[in-house]
Amino acid sequence: MPEELEQFCAAESPGELAPVLDEVVAEVLATMFFADTEPAPCDHVWLDSAVSARLGFEGTHFGEALLSVSRPAAESAAAAFLGLDEKETTEMERCQVILELANILCGAVLSRLWPEAKLTLSAPIPDASHTDLEGALHRCFSMPEGNLACWIRLGGAKL
Amino acid sequence: MAYSVLIVDDSPVMRSFIRRVMILSGFEVGECLEAANGEEALARLRDHGRIDVMLTDINMPKMNGEELLEQLGNDGLLRTVPALVISTDATKERILRMISLGAEGYMTKPFSPEALREELERILGERNAGRA
Repeated sequence: MPEELEQFCAAESPGELAPVLDEVVAEVLATMFFADTEPAPCDHVWLDSAVSARLGFEGTHFGEALLSVSRPAAESAAAAFLGLDEKETTEMERCQVILELANILCGAVLSRLWPEAKLTLSAPIPDASHTDLEGALHRCFSMPEGNLACWIRLGGAKL
Repeated sequence: MAYSVLIVDDSPVMRSFIRRVMILSGFEVGECLEAANGEEALARLRDHGRIDVMLTDINMPKMNGEELLEQLGNDGLLRTVPALVISTDATKERILRMISLGAEGYMTKPFSPEALREELERILGERNAGRA
């Protein structure tokens, strides 16, 4: 493994990623979505109907991230982000907002973990499959209107 | 004084968010134009003739933020338009690269409405002071 990658691998354990992810989720949701979040026990009953987005990253590190937001929480988040009533948001707008949220969360986590890195993020895409997540760091969060779940997997096949 | 602003981002919801928080923050927005990529941004800048500040993303199709700043730097008239970069990328390499291309500010997401206003006022304040 190239030396420049070895030095970055030190921070890749789930124990070190988890606090960064917790902090970033809280900050992003509060600052740009005006919503409070808290880490929560995993309860994935809602995943099948969730609004989800996946994106990849490559460069000095590569991997992918998946974000799922329960439908009521996605409606609330989109309304807050766009300054609309929940009933005014369209399905497309909710999807686009969750794509943007995934982009912001992934970029913020990676930049915070590895500020010296050279990274490129792929454009996020809707993806409700929840597949290929073996070995990923996973955290669940509660929001006033529902749930949010994140997965970040380092290494593996590029998207 | 109300400012003419150009927002450049391939995400329509992100453009909407930036427009809304600029106004919410109390920043004096007189006219707000939008572009989905660097090519559209150049067209808006040339057609409008007096944009006070441009807020631009980096990763966009057709022409990205880096290419846009390079084009502005090569244009005798457009190079005077101050650019504030807004991106998820907070890596040092990217920040330094965009500043070297002429960006007068760089904000990473997430950002608060207050932080956006302060940065815009800093950029435009320095510009106005330079013209005095």
